[in-house]
Amino acid sequence: MTKHKMKEEIPREPYTKSTLVIQIVMTLVAVLFIAPILIIINYSFKTKKELYLSSPLALPQSLQFANYEKAFSKLDLATTFTNTFLYTAVSVLILALLCGSTAWAIARCRAKFFKFCYIYFIVGILIPYQALFLPIYIIGYNLNLTNTRYGIIFMYIATGVSFGVFLMNSFMSTVPLELEEAARIDGCSVFRTYFTIVMPLLKPAMATLVIMQAFQIWNDYLLASLYVSKKQLKTLTVAIQSLFSAQTSDYTTAMAAIIISVLPIAILFISLQKYFIKGMTVGAVKG
Amino acid sequence: MKKRLLSVVLSTAMIASVLSGCGSSGETQAPADTQESAPAQSEESAPAAAEDADKEPAAEASDEEVTLTVLAGQSTTDAGIEDMIDEALAEKYPNITLEWECVDWGNDFQPKMQQYMQSGLPDIMIGKAQDVATYAPQGILGEIDSTYLDRVLDAASANVTIDGKTYGLVYNALYQGVYYNKDMFAENGWEIPKTMDDLQAIIDDCNAKGIIPFASHMVDTWSIGNVTMQFAMNDVFNNDPTWGDKFRAGEVSFSDSKEFQTAYEYNKLIFDNTYPETFSTEQTDCDARMVLGEAAMKVSGSWSIQNFLDIDENFNFGIFPFPNQTGDSKLIFEPNITIMTSASSEHQDAINCVLDVLTGDKDLAVEIYDYTKTAAMLKDVTPTFANPSQADIDQYAADGMIVDVTLGNNQLVWGGFQEENAKDIAAWLQGDATFEDALKASDGRVDASSAN
Amino acid sequence: MRESKKNGMEKKMERQYLVMVLPGFLIFTVGLIIPMLMAVRYSFTNWDGMSTVKSFVGLKNYMDLFQDADFRSAWWFTIKFTIGNTIIQNVLALLFAVMLDSGIKAQKLYRTAFFVPCLISSLIVGFIWLKMFSNVLPEINEILGTNINFLLFGDGKTVLSGLLIANNWQWIGYWMLIYLAGLQSIPADLYEAAKVDGAGAVSRFRNITIPMLAPAITICVVGITTGSLKVYDLLVSSTKGGPGRASTSIIYQTYATAINGRQYGYGSAMSVTLVIVLLLVALIQVKGLKKKEVQA
Repeated sequence: MTKHKMKEEIPREPYTKSTLVIQIVMTLVAVLFIAPILIIINYSFKTKKELYLSSPLALPQSLQFANYEKAFSKLDLATTFTNTFLYTAVSVLILALLCGSTAWAIARCRAKFFKFCYIYFIVGILIPYQALFLPIYIIGYNLNLTNTRYGIIFMYIATGVSFGVFLMNSFMSTVPLELEEAARIDGCSVFRTYFTIVMPLLKPAMATLVIMQAFQIWNDYLLASLYVSKKQLKTLTVAIQSLFSAQTSDYTTAMAAIIISVLPIAILFISLQKYFIKGMTVGAVKG
Repeated sequence: MKKRLLSVVLSTAMIASVLSGCGSSGETQAPADTQESAPAQSEESAPAAAEDADKEPAAEASDEEVTLTVLAGQSTTDAGIEDMIDEALAEKYPNITLEWECVDWGNDFQPKMQQYMQSGLPDIMIGKAQDVATYAPQGILGEIDSTYLDRVLDAASANVTIDGKTYGLVYNALYQGVYYNKDMFAENGWEIPKTMDDLQAIIDDCNAKGIIPFASHMVDTWSIGNVTMQFAMNDVFNNDPTWGDKFRAGEVSFSDSKEFQTAYEYNKLIFDNTYPETFSTEQTDCDARMVLGEAAMKVSGSWSIQNFLDIDENFNFGIFPFPNQTGDSKLIFEPNITIMTSASSEHQDAINCVLDVLTGDKDLAVEIYDYTKTAAMLKDVTPTFANPSQADIDQYAADGMIVDVTLGNNQLVWGGFQEENAKDIAAWLQGDATFEDALKASDGRVDASSAN
Repeated sequence: MRESKKNGMEKKMERQYLVMVLPGFLIFTVGLIIPMLMAVRYSFTNWDGMSTVKSFVGLKNYMDLFQDADFRSAWWFTIKFTIGNTIIQNVLALLFAVMLDSGIKAQKLYRTAFFVPCLISSLIVGFIWLKMFSNVLPEINEILGTNINFLLFGDGKTVLSGLLIANNWQWIGYWMLIYLAGLQSIPADLYEAAKVDGAGAVSRFRNITIPMLAPAITICVVGITTGSLKVYDLLVSSTKGGPGRASTSIIYQTYATAINGRQYGYGSAMSVTLVIVLLLVALIQVKGLKKKEVQA
C-alpha cells in the first residue's frame, strides 16, 4: 500500500472534533455489528438447560467445551474443511485464469460473436440456479460429474464464470491498448500478447475476483448438497446444515459449529486483509 | 465471414445436440429403463430372494465388503440414530458399511428423492409412512421381505401396503394430541375435557387465573399444518373416512364443509389463547415455557417429549385427544420412521441384513426408542424411558380410541397441500387474509392434494 | 491484395480469440445454460419432477401464473426486498466507507468488524437473526424497561424490515470494502485542487467522489439487486417464507411449487419468468449506470 501514491499516505487532515464524532459513531455501529456474533459465542459455551432457562445475555456458568468437542466430531472437520478449502481454492484459481482470458478476448475482438458472448455470459449472473437444481443435477449425472471433486469444481466454475467475465470486462479499460498494439506489431500471437502483456496487468482484477468468488463458494450450500453426497467429499456448509436441518434441539452444538466454521476463514481474512484491500483498490476504481 | 458463421452454427448445433440428448434421456432412456424394469424385476426376483434368505441366514450369504447408501429424511427427534444403527450393524455384519446422507424430512427429503429418481435411488431410504404412497406408485420401491414384516406390529403395515405389497417397514410411532401439565390440572381441579365445552371451561379458568391456556410455536408453519390435521382427523375423517377422495371427486369442498371449517377455526381458538408472540416463538422455547408452568396445554406430538424431559426430567405431563364436536375424538398415532428399499439395488442381500439388524436387534430398538422418546412398532419391544404420558396412551389404546393419521395424510398429502394450507391459515390468523380466502385457496389446490 | 491479407490476419486473430473464449463458453453452456433451456422445456410440460411422463401442455403454465395470487404476492415481496436492499445497502456501505476513510484511528479494526458477518453463510445468518429477534433483543427490553417491538419475524407487517436488517448486517461490510477500496485510490491531489478552488465538502463529494466511484457503484448496484432478487437461503432458516406467505420470495415459491408441490413444470415456468425479469432489470441498470460513467 505504501508504494502507491494514494490518499492514505498523503498527510492527513488533522484529527478534528468531527473526526472524533465519526470515531464514536463508528464504534457504536461496529459494536452492533459484532454483538450477534458475541451472543453466538456466548451461547456456544452454555448447557442445553441454560440455553432455555437463563437469559440469553447471561454468561454461561461454566464453559462447556463439550459442545465444541461434539461439534468437532459431528462436522468431521478434518475432512470437510480440507474439501471446502480444496474446492474453493481450485475453483477460484481456474475462474481467475479463465475469466481473464475470456473477458479480454471479448473486449478486444470486434466480431459479432464476441458481442453476443458478452450478453450471453451476463445472462448467467441472472440465472437463479437455485431454481434449476433438477436440470443441473440431471446434466451432472449424465456427464458423470456427481460425487466427484472435479464435478463440483466444474459447477462452481460454470456458475461463477459469468460474474467473473462481467467483473473482468469492467477492468479491461485499465489495460492500455498501446502496449498490446506494440506487441502485435512485433508479431506476437494473440495468446502471447495475453500471457506476457495483458495478464500481468490483470492481476489486481484477478485478486478481486478471487476474493469475491471465494466467499460465495466457501458458503455455498445448494450445489455442494446436489453434487456431493459421499461422506469423504462433503463440504463444511453441508455438514453444518445437517446440524440445523434436523430441527435439532441441540442448539448449543450447532452454535459451537458455527463458531468453528467461521473461525478459520475469519482468521484468514484478518491476516490477509491488507492484500484483499489492495486487490480491490486497484480494481474497483479504474473499472 | 464464413468462419464466423460456421462457429455460430457449430456452437448452436453443439448446444442443440447436448440438449436433445438430455431431453430424450428424460423421456425414454436411462432413468426410465431402470425405473420401468424395476417393478418387473422385483416381482420376479424378490420372492426368490426371499426364499433364499429363508434357507440360509443372510449373514452367511457373503462376506464381501458392501457399502450401502442410505438417504435418511429425519425429523426433530431422529438425528443421531444413524450412529446407533452403524454400531449395531458393525457388530453383526462387519462387512456391511452404511453411507448415510441425513437430511431434514420436511425440507430436503422430497428434493433428494426427486434428484435420485433421475439417477438412481440409494439402497435404503428412511422417511415417513406417507412417503410410501408417494413413491411406491412410481415403481421404484422394493417390496419388504415378509421375514422382517413379521417382526413389526400388523397395524403398522396397513398404510404402507399397496395392492397387497408392503413397501415400507414402520419402525416407530409418534402420538399426537394435547399434552397437558398434569400437576397443574390436579391443582386447579381440571378434568380431562371430552367436549369443546369442557375445553372452553378450562381455557376460561386459565385466563381468569393468568395462565396461558396453550403453548404454541406458530413461527413453524409445519406446526400449524400438523395441528390442523389433528383437528381434521377427529372432526372430518372420523365421520367421513374418504373425505379427501370425495374432495378430489368434487363432492365436497373446504368452502362447503362445515366440519373442515371447524378444524380450521380451532387454530383461531389456539391463537387467541396462546403466547402473544407465538409467531416469534420457536419450538424449543415454547416447550421450555410450558415446562416452566407458563402454559397449561400444548397441541403437539411425541417430538415434544424429548424437549420436555431435556429441560426438566421430572416434568409430569399427560396426553388427551383434542376434543371434537361429537365428543368422541381419538388419540392420533403416526407411524414415523419408515424404512424403504430401492427396487433396483444390486445389494438386496445386504439390504436384508440391515433390515435384520433393525428388526431383530432388540437392544438397538430399545436404544432408539428411548433416544427418540417414541413408541415401538416392533413386536415384543418396550421402550424403557420414563414417559409420564404412557399411562394415558395405554388407556386410549385399550379403549380402542386411537387412530392412524396416515389415513388423512395419504388422502391429503403434506407437501404442496397441507403445508400450503397451513401458510394460508397463518396468513388468516395474522389478519393478512380472510377465512374465506384461506378456504378458497385450499379448494384451489385440489390438483396438488394427492401425490399421484 | 493488401485487403485480403489484412482480412486473413484478422481471421486468424479471430480464431485465436475464439480459442480463448471457448473453454469458458463451453463450461458455462453445459453447466448453466443447458439446464436453463431444460427448465424452459419443462415449463411447457406438466412434469411432476418424479415420473417419466412429461406431457406437453403448451402455454398453460404461463397462463396459470397470471391467475396465481401466491405467485403475485411472492413477486411483490421480492420486489420490496430488492428495492429496500439496493437502497439501504448501497447508501450505508458508501456512508460507512466514507466515514472509515475520514481519518479515524484503527480503521482496520472497524473494517474487520463490518466484514466478519459476510463470512457466515446466509443459512446461518437467518438462524442467528431468528434467535436475535425472538430471544436476545426482547431481553434487552426487559433490562432497559423499554417496550420496543423486536419480534420483527413474527408479524407479516414487520417481517420485511427484519429480513432487511439481517441481510444488510451480512452484506454491508462486503460492499463497504469495495467502496473503501475505491475511495482510497482516488488521487488526493484531485481533492486538493478542488479545495483550492473553494469547493465545500459536499460539492467535493458530489463532483469528485461519486464520479470516481462510478465503476464501483455499478458493481455494487448490480450485485445487490440481482442478489436480492434471488433471495432464498436467508429465508430457509429464519422465516420459512412466513408468517403465512408474508416473506415468500419468488425463488422460495418456485421451490415450494416445483419440489414440495410436485409441479416441476409449473415451477419451471416461474423460474423462467424470474430469469426474464432479472435480465430486463440488469440490462436497464447496466445501460443506465454505464451512461452515467461515461458522462462522468
